[in-house]
Amino acid sequence: MDTLSDVDPGDTFQIVTIPDDRIRAQLQRMGFLDGAVECRQQLRKGPVIIRRHGTQMAIGASVARAVEVAFGRDLDHD
Amino acid sequence: MTEGDVRDELDRVVGLVGAPNVGKSVVFNFLANETVTVSNYPGTTVTTTLAAADGFALTDTPGVYGISSFTEEERVTRSIIFDIDAAVNVVDATHLERDLFLTLQLLDMGIPTVVALNMMDEARADGLAIDPDVLEARLGVPVVPTVATEGEGLGRLADRIEEASAPSRSPLGQWYDQLPTGLEATRAERTLLVEGDEPTAERVHDRLAAADGESAAVTPDGGSSGLAPDGLRDEIYAHRRSRVERLVSSVLTHSPTSETLADRFDALLLNPLTGIPFVLGMLVAVYWIIGDLVAQKLVNVTEVDLIAHHWVPFVHAELGGLLPHGPVFDAVRYVLLNGTLGLLTADVRFLFGVLLPLIVSFNVLMSLAEDSGILPRFAVLTDRGMSRIGLNGRAIIPMIIGLGCVTMAIISTRMVGSRRERLIATALLGLAVPCSAQLGVILGLISSLGPIWWVAYVGVILLVFGLAGLALDRVLPGEGQGLVTELPRLRVPRLENVAQKTRAKTRMFLSESIPMIGGGSLVLSLFTYTGGMGVAERTFAPVMGLLDLPPSFGHVLLMGIIRRDFAAAGMTDLALSHAQLFIGLVVITLFVPCILSMAMLGKEHDVKSGLLMWAGSWVTAFVVGGILAAVIT
Repeated sequence: MDTLSDVDPGDTFQIVTIPDDRIRAQLQRMGFLDGAVECRQQLRKGPVIIRRHGTQMAIGASVARAVEVAFGRDLDHD
Repeated sequence: MTEGDVRDELDRVVGLVGAPNVGKSVVFNFLANETVTVSNYPGTTVTTTLAAADGFALTDTPGVYGISSFTEEERVTRSIIFDIDAAVNVVDATHLERDLFLTLQLLDMGIPTVVALNMMDEARADGLAIDPDVLEARLGVPVVPTVATEGEGLGRLADRIEEASAPSRSPLGQWYDQLPTGLEATRAERTLLVEGDEPTAERVHDRLAAADGESAAVTPDGGSSGLAPDGLRDEIYAHRRSRVERLVSSVLTHSPTSETLADRFDALLLNPLTGIPFVLGMLVAVYWIIGDLVAQKLVNVTEVDLIAHHWVPFVHAELGGLLPHGPVFDAVRYVLLNGTLGLLTADVRFLFGVLLPLIVSFNVLMSLAEDSGILPRFAVLTDRGMSRIGLNGRAIIPMIIGLGCVTMAIISTRMVGSRRERLIATALLGLAVPCSAQLGVILGLISSLGPIWWVAYVGVILLVFGLAGLALDRVLPGEGQGLVTELPRLRVPRLENVAQKTRAKTRMFLSESIPMIGGGSLVLSLFTYTGGMGVAERTFAPVMGLLDLPPSFGHVLLMGIIRRDFAAAGMTDLALSHAQLFIGLVVITLFVPCILSMAMLGKEHDVKSGLLMWAGSWVTAFVVGGILAAVIT
C-alpha cells in the first residue's frame, strides 16, 4: 500500500487509514477522508501539502509515513 | 462591571463558535458593547473574552473544527459550550465543506444556534454561489450571510440571535441507544459521550455519583470509562460527514475560476527553492526593523533623550529634596533612585524607554505575520530541521519571537503543541536564544573583535542549541508530535486587526512585566544596599577563575539574573582580552534568562520545571565557558 509520503505534487488520491486517533479525527472532521485529495507540494524529507475543496493542510513527514493512501486505479468505483 | 455582574445581570450567555480565522473576532467586536474580561480559562493557557451585549453576555471561544478534547483549545470550547444558552456559529463561506461539520455537531448536541455565513464576498470571488435560504431550510436554524469585515449583515445577525434554535430531534438516536438505559444526561452530553469524549464521561459520572451518593453503580467497572463507548466516533463522524456532503451539494454551485495571485504566491512560498530565500529576506528585514530602526535609533530617542536626559534628572530634583535624611529614608531613596536598579529611574528607563518601543514594534510585526497567514508557511519550510530536535515546524515561530523578546516567546510556545514540545521549545529559548536587548549590546561588543569571533560566537550558540535540543529529545519521555497544521489562505493583513491585537498584547505584557521588574529590582537593590553583592562576588570568584574571567564578572552575571542586557552592558566596563570577551559573551548568552522570562516560565509551566531550566542554564553556561577557556588558552 502506498503512503502519503509517496505521493507527488499534482497526484490525486484517497486517504485510506490514519492510525493516530487524534490526527484521524482532525482530518476526518475537515473532510479529508470523504474522497479525492490533491497533493500540492512534497518537500524532500519534509511535510507534504494536501488540499481538498480549498482547504490546505501541511502533514509532517513522520505523520505522512503512517498514512495509507490509494490512487485512482486502486479505488472502487463509487 | 465585573465578570460576575455581567453574568448576574444578563442571565443569557451567547457563545461565538467557529473554526480558526473565520472572522469571529470581528463579529465579536460588533456584537459586544463593553469588553469585561480577557482571562485565562481555568487551568489552561487559552484566553477567552467575555463582554456585555444587548440583552445577553457574549463569550468567544478558541477556534476549533469540532468539539471534543484533543487539544487545549477544544477542551476550553467544549466546557464553554456546555454552559451557554445559544451559539453564534461563524462559518467561512469559502470553506463550507470544512466548517459545516462543527455546525452539524452543535445541532446534533441540541445547542440553539444561529449561523453567520461569513466571507460571502470572498466566496463570490472564488466563483462559489451559495444559497443561504436553502441552507437555512435544510439546517432548520437561522442562517445570515455576512461580510464581517465590511459590517455587512451583522445588524441582521444581531436581530436574529433570539431566533437561535436546534432541530428537536438528534439524528444520532441509534447511537444514543448504546448508552446505559435511563442515563441522566443532556443531549449535548449524550452526543459527546457516544463520540467517546472522556472528559464528558467524567463530568456525567461525577454528577451522578454526587447526586446518588457513592452507592450508585452507574457503571459496572466503577469508573467513568463505561459511559463513553469505544470506537463509535469514526462511524458517527462518517455519518456526519456524509450529511455535510449532501448539504453542500444542495446549497453550493461552483464555477471554476482561474488561480488567484495569492494561490500562485503560496505555491512559490511552499517551494523550498523560492520559499527559503523569501523567508531569509523577511528575517533580514525584520532584524533590520527591530534590531536597528527600533532597538538603536528609536530607543536612543526614548531611552536617552526623553528618559535619561529629562525624566531621571526631574525625579532626582523633585524627590531627592523631598525625602528627609535618616537610615530608613536613605534606603528608600536608594531603592527609588539608584542608577542601576532604581524603581523610578532605571526601571522607568528600561520599561518605557527600551522595552515598550521594542514590544510594540514586535507586536505590530507579529500581528501582521499572523493576520497574513504567512507563519504556517514558515512552519512547513523548517519542519524537517525542527523534527530532529523533537519539535515540529510550528516551533520556529517562538524561536523567531525569542530573538525579539524571550518572555513573549515563552508565551507563544502555547502554539507548538504538546507539553513535551513546549518544554523543549521553552528550554531552548531560555538557554540559547539571545533577546534583542542583549543582542544589541553583544553586537556592539563583538564588532570590536572582528568577523572571525562573530562567526565563532554564532557557531558555538547554534551548536549548543542543536545539542541541547537533541539531548532534551532523548531525555524527555514520549515522542515528538509530527506537524499537522492547516495552511489558511494568504491575505493582506487588515490594519484594524493589527492595531487591536498589538494593543491587547502590549497591555497584557505591561501588566505582567511592571510588577515583576519592580519586585526584582527592589530585592536586588536591597541586596546591594546591605552589602550582599560584595559577598556574592567573593563567593563566585573561584568559578570565574575556571572560566579565565576576572572576579568582577560575577557582578555582571548577578545583574544578568534580572535583565540579560544588564549583563552584556556590564561587560563594556571591564578590561578584558579578546578571548575573555568572547568567552564572557558566550557565557552571558547561555546564562539564565531575565527575571521576567523566569516568572513567565514558572507561570506557563510549573515552578519545578522553571527551576530545573534555570539551574540547567547555570550549568551549561559554565561548562561551555570552561571548555572554551581550556581550548583557547
